[in-house]
Amino acid sequence: MNSLHARMRWLAWRRPLVARWAQVLLIVLVWLACDQLSRRLHLPVPGSLLAMALLLAMLLGGVVPAASLRRGADWLLADMLLFFIPAVMAVWQHLPLMRQEGGRILAVILVGTLLVMGTTALLVDLMFRWRLRRAR
Amino acid sequence: MRAEWLSLSWLALTLGGYYALKPVYRRHPRWWTSPLFTVPLLLAVLGLLLGTDYPVYIRDTHWLVLMLGPATVAFALPVFRHRQLIRTHWPALLAGVLGGSAMAIGSAWGLATLCGLDDAVRRSLLARSITTPLAMLVSADIGGVPELTALFVVITGVAGIALGELLLRHLPLRSALARGALFGVGAHGAGTAKAYDVGNEEGSVASLAMVLAGLLNVLLAPALAALLR
Repeated sequence: MNSLHARMRWLAWRRPLVARWAQVLLIVLVWLACDQLSRRLHLPVPGSLLAMALLLAMLLGGVVPAASLRRGADWLLADMLLFFIPAVMAVWQHLPLMRQEGGRILAVILVGTLLVMGTTALLVDLMFRWRLRRAR
Repeated sequence: MRAEWLSLSWLALTLGGYYALKPVYRRHPRWWTSPLFTVPLLLAVLGLLLGTDYPVYIRDTHWLVLMLGPATVAFALPVFRHRQLIRTHWPALLAGVLGGSAMAIGSAWGLATLCGLDDAVRRSLLARSITTPLAMLVSADIGGVPELTALFVVITGVAGIALGELLLRHLPLRSALARGALFGVGAHGAGTAKAYDVGNEEGSVASLAMVLAGLLNVLLAPALAALLR
């Protein structure tokens, strides 16, 4: 295992692009394995969450050093918006619904998101200040 | 034969459009320059020429959506990187995630009922604040339409980038913790990307808050499904 990490570090240093794709592939494989496991055994937890928990446990346990997955994970996260785009085009399948209820749906989303963001931020800030005052 | 070429061109156009328009956002980070808004707009315009046939469009692009799975796995890294932050501030984060998620579900239900939306649409709206792969799972659990939810999630993302900017200007927020949680709980991955523009600490708090909110929703889904039956 250790020599594998050493090789990955060497790769990251000499060939950053190759290292990135190798790491992306590694993450995809972990996800694929957990996804199949979750499907086969009918687990209540989705495969992606299972894989994330597994990876986090391995990172915390020191089995996998964070440095040898950094490039792949950062690419996946930085380009996540790309993976959303095809999902948006599903609007083509729901054009009649959008024509009928689109305006109202948009209103619900806008007002709802404003409420969610406001509530979250104020709650966190309140807790943060309260703990700060108590700590003093 | 023609449909196959069309599917392949849609994939090329989606990728090309994304990589062409991404630098624009980097230079002028506003909600209307976000690739999440500009690329679908471009594709919609092209759809007028090439036809708006979703099954043809998704045939070669569906693996892009599938990549949201590995992207979710990748969130283990920022969570690991900021484990110290979680250890010190977990009560505040937990309060924000719990309150925000309750507000997300409650406001979606209340507002949708108020506006007289269909039951299927209303159920699909409930999970719209969390990240897509999890939102689609929750939506299927509580009797929504997963594809509609994916759409609402993305609209929430674009709206969240714009509304988050607005709120940061007007709310008296003292901590980076609150600024980050606002984006993470309110606008999932799109908001998290925006939070990284605000600051590094905001970004990591946002990614963490997003993961926590997503987990909470998945765990609550069976209870919610029983409640709404």
